[in-house]
Amino acid sequence: MYGDSGIKLVQHAKRTQNLAHLPPYQTELVRAVTREVRDLNKDVDDLLEPFQGSFDPSEDQAVAYTLLVNHISMRRNKRCLLAYHRTRTDKLEELVWNGADVVDLSGQQVRDGSSRNSTGLTSGDGSTSSLSPQEEDYVRQYGDLLAAYKGQWTDIDLTGSLEPPRDLFIDVRVLKDAGEIQTEYGAITLTKNSQFYVRQGDVERLIAQGYLQKLS
Amino acid sequence: MSYYDVDAILTDGEKVPCRFELDVPYLGHLDNSNGLKPGSRLALPLWLAEMFALASAGEDSKPPLTLTLPPCLSEQVQAALKADPRAVALRDQSAYFYGVAVRMLDLFDERELSAILRRTFVVRAADVGLHARKAEESGLGGQGEEFLRGLDEWERRLFRRGHEGVRGAKEWTDNVKKS
Repeated sequence: MYGDSGIKLVQHAKRTQNLAHLPPYQTELVRAVTREVRDLNKDVDDLLEPFQGSFDPSEDQAVAYTLLVNHISMRRNKRCLLAYHRTRTDKLEELVWNGADVVDLSGQQVRDGSSRNSTGLTSGDGSTSSLSPQEEDYVRQYGDLLAAYKGQWTDIDLTGSLEPPRDLFIDVRVLKDAGEIQTEYGAITLTKNSQFYVRQGDVERLIAQGYLQKLS
Repeated sequence: MSYYDVDAILTDGEKVPCRFELDVPYLGHLDNSNGLKPGSRLALPLWLAEMFALASAGEDSKPPLTLTLPPCLSEQVQAALKADPRAVALRDQSAYFYGVAVRMLDLFDERELSAILRRTFVVRAADVGLHARKAEESGLGGQGEEFLRGLDEWERRLFRRGHEGVRGAKEWTDNVKKS
């Protein structure tokens, strides 16, 4: 039945809405839907071919309704495709606003990769990213856009937390090597498993990115 | 309802029974035969059936198919809803019960059905609100669980909103007390 793959795609989108992370891109399904549209279009061309552009719907109703079905099915598939991608880009934008960038998103690939094998939802081309190449591009460019926008107000961090900090200084543990950072009190080298007492404002982003863990 | 609304798209994917009035040899794939004969019955998704029922090629030609109300809005279900709206598990009828009903009422002039549905929603909404408030105290489960499992997608959203509202208000009062 036409539109069945489209429905599956939209069901994926529905599930995506309730998840914190982004599930793998459904390359296979998207390809199936686009293939269906192409087949339908070919059907339409074949049906219209004998008429040589002089088709009168009221004379040959059977053909007219077949064309109608094909047309509506194509439109339906288009809507499914657009809705699926829009759900994902909305999610991506949200993630970028929360401070994720392409590197962070590729960090979750490993986890998704393992869950994908068990559910059998292969993305087809064997790549480990949960984003399609286009989506990676989108994230990168959206990130640039956001950075440019934020650059207009250097004294305020638009993506910072809305919660006022309770303490100015906090204890943090380093989960991943993050290299050297510059603070008002000099440079600190963040090596894995070490612990520091630092100003919260200096390390907020590193906590959000998962390099540091806040100790209460 | 937006073009990109995932729920609206899934609502449109629900099937409704129809009867073909015309001979369309090319559309046999719709019911796995070699061509649709006049009078053949099949279930089509709403997005296809609706356009079809409204379409007609000439001025005096009749539409190529007639729609009937889907099983989730059948006489039996209506009777059950009239008796006690809370006793019917709407989700078993259709996950998008109200969505489908609204779309059908656009096409059919069914005053009684619309009255039944309105009353169903009002009665059930009160219960949904009650459960949303109580879920915080007792945790999910208990005698309300079966009712909650029968909520359709729209009522679920209502439940979630209600639940979030109660929790938000509680968090806020707790914070006020603390500071």
